[in-house]
Amino acid sequence: MTDSPTLLGTMRKVKLHLSAGQFLLTIMLVTLSATGSFAAAQYGEVAAALVFVLGITVAGALCGLASALIAALVGFLIYNFYLTEPVLTFRLVTGSDIAPLVIFNLCALVSGVLAGRLKDHAEAARSSNLQLNSLLELSRGLQSAQRLEDVVATVGKAAHEIVGARISLFRAEEEGLTPLDAMPRDDRWRGFAEALLASPTPMLRDGNLLGCRLNGGTDVPILMIVEPFRPRGIEPAFVNALGNMVALALQRAALSEQMTERRASARAEELKTALLASVSHDFRTPLTAISASASSLITYGEKLDPETSLRLLHGIVEEGERLNRYTANLLEMSRLETGGGPASLQVLGVSEMVAAAVQRVRSRAGRRSIVLRDPESDLQIAANPALFELVLINILDNAITYSADETHIRIELSGVDGLCRIAIADEGFGIPAQDADRVFDRFYRVARSEASPRGSGLGLAIAKGFVEALGGTIGATVPGIEGRGTCITIRLPLAEGTGLS
Amino acid sequence: MTNILLVDDEPSLIAVLQPVLGAAGYHVIVATDGNSASRLALDQRPDVVLLDLGLPDMDGKEVIRRIRAASAVPIIVISARHQEAEKIAALDNGADDYVNKPFEIGELMARIRAAIRRGKSLESEPETYSGGPLDVDFASRQVRLDGEAVKLSPKEYDLLRVLALSAGQVVTHKRLLAAGWGSERTDSQYLRVYIGLLRQKIEEDPSDPRLLLTEPGVGYRLTPGA
Repeated sequence: MTDSPTLLGTMRKVKLHLSAGQFLLTIMLVTLSATGSFAAAQYGEVAAALVFVLGITVAGALCGLASALIAALVGFLIYNFYLTEPVLTFRLVTGSDIAPLVIFNLCALVSGVLAGRLKDHAEAARSSNLQLNSLLELSRGLQSAQRLEDVVATVGKAAHEIVGARISLFRAEEEGLTPLDAMPRDDRWRGFAEALLASPTPMLRDGNLLGCRLNGGTDVPILMIVEPFRPRGIEPAFVNALGNMVALALQRAALSEQMTERRASARAEELKTALLASVSHDFRTPLTAISASASSLITYGEKLDPETSLRLLHGIVEEGERLNRYTANLLEMSRLETGGGPASLQVLGVSEMVAAAVQRVRSRAGRRSIVLRDPESDLQIAANPALFELVLINILDNAITYSADETHIRIELSGVDGLCRIAIADEGFGIPAQDADRVFDRFYRVARSEASPRGSGLGLAIAKGFVEALGGTIGATVPGIEGRGTCITIRLPLAEGTGLS
Repeated sequence: MTNILLVDDEPSLIAVLQPVLGAAGYHVIVATDGNSASRLALDQRPDVVLLDLGLPDMDGKEVIRRIRAASAVPIIVISARHQEAEKIAALDNGADDYVNKPFEIGELMARIRAAIRRGKSLESEPETYSGGPLDVDFASRQVRLDGEAVKLSPKEYDLLRVLALSAGQVVTHKRLLAAGWGSERTDSQYLRVYIGLLRQKIEEDPSDPRLLLTEPGVGYRLTPGA
């Protein structure tokens, strides 16, 4: 489009080649005009000449310049030989001999060139339409690209299928150019990319290579280099439009990446806050009991009867243990959090472990009855003993915390299909059925109307992490016992050679 | 015998406080939820209510409201140190004082004694305050420190009077602002300035107060000192 649309300029672009079909059409047109011209000859030479002019014009319009020139030449020969005086001789002497030759050829030139220009316009319109469509299609593809990799992949795919070019994207970091795609490339690209980076204009052309410097939404500029592989080439304006579109997509991807990062850090922050709140809440009650007991023993030691003193001392030990358990929970949580796997597996007798856990929680169970039903006392699993105990105590503790005094807690063990099933059911307040899965979320605590939540909300999350690390499952169902409470069921793979396996 | 209603659902705390308060000469009634607490507060007519804000069945503030609807019994709230908003809300709802978890038993006993004294003073306003080196005669507006007259501005005296009438108990910023400036909305910056002036006059070392203590985020407390 850089050439000015003058006649000469256009002529340079008109190709002087003819297809076989066009050649045949030209011959037919010449024959037709010759026949017409013989018929018109009775009305004088001028009429015959006009018929030839008509034929040449039609040939030029239909088949282009070459066809028109052929028609003009052949037409002139026929006209001069057969139709003008002296008939049946060639003569180029007088002005009336030469005029038809000049006029015929001028006519051919004008009609051929005009037809060529028309065709060019049509061609240009079609190609710009194609480019528009390809841009549209690319923009549709880019719209769904959320990450940088998606953008690069979409551009790479569109380059081949739609644009007809190789498109490379580089990140221009201070240490050098980093290709964003995995395309093979030679040194020519690198040299061009460096020239583009240093160029004062955001766009550069070198031979068939076209480059754009893009603002990808980060501090680092992105270079887009287009190498067309179709002979027609690609307009710089198209590359510019393409560049703008890719830049927009890159900016969106950068934004979305920042959003994701921010969301992740917000989540981490939330976790930290919840962890701290849980620490301060969970640790305060046992600390208060310890502090009150110890200071009472100091201040009122002689006023307290020996039995009370002993109870206070026992309380201190017990609360110390509770603090220790909370600490273990926090540590386990952070270990599960960082993806640390289950440490040191041992083959453990399940009923023995459960009995020990029950023993540990008995003191804070009040007058609740804890019954262990164990038809197969030889069930064994492979697990970390301390962690397994912690998980059992967490679940039992929940059953105690969320149930009234003088209720039942029932533990059932069974081996089915190579799995050990441990079901711990209570008659407590239960959980809303729709929250049955959420109880295993970190920091989830069953809302107790307006009352303050209990516990850290870590216990069951740790249980889930533990069970899943061992390839087992854990689930909560309501009700637990006789229409009330909750039942937590753990299924763990039995250690080989035990149970019913 | 003095009756204390202990409202807490933590078995470990009940296990400590019940025998220890008993040994200190109080008769302890235990409630483990808000409903029985508000019922027992009216039926048993305790002299002091010791209320843990975290209860299984209702918000602690609701318990305070229910008790206050029918009784002026002193209520001491047991709460976490960092929950200033909770404490202020509890005090606004009619609680008299609070003690932070974890507490030492001596601290709790001092709060209980102050609450009982305050409960009695509500029946007949005391004529004097005497705590440590400080004496206040409410009738003549005389303030003495170690027997020597202290000259206070009217505003300083108004603040000291409110603090002395609730001696040993926390007095919120709101109440002090209302007492000194007639409006709770006054900038608490003034309050800080006047408390500073008061400390200059009654404290041995105003930068290390022993009598007029700060309750961070809540208010001030007048104590007899160590």
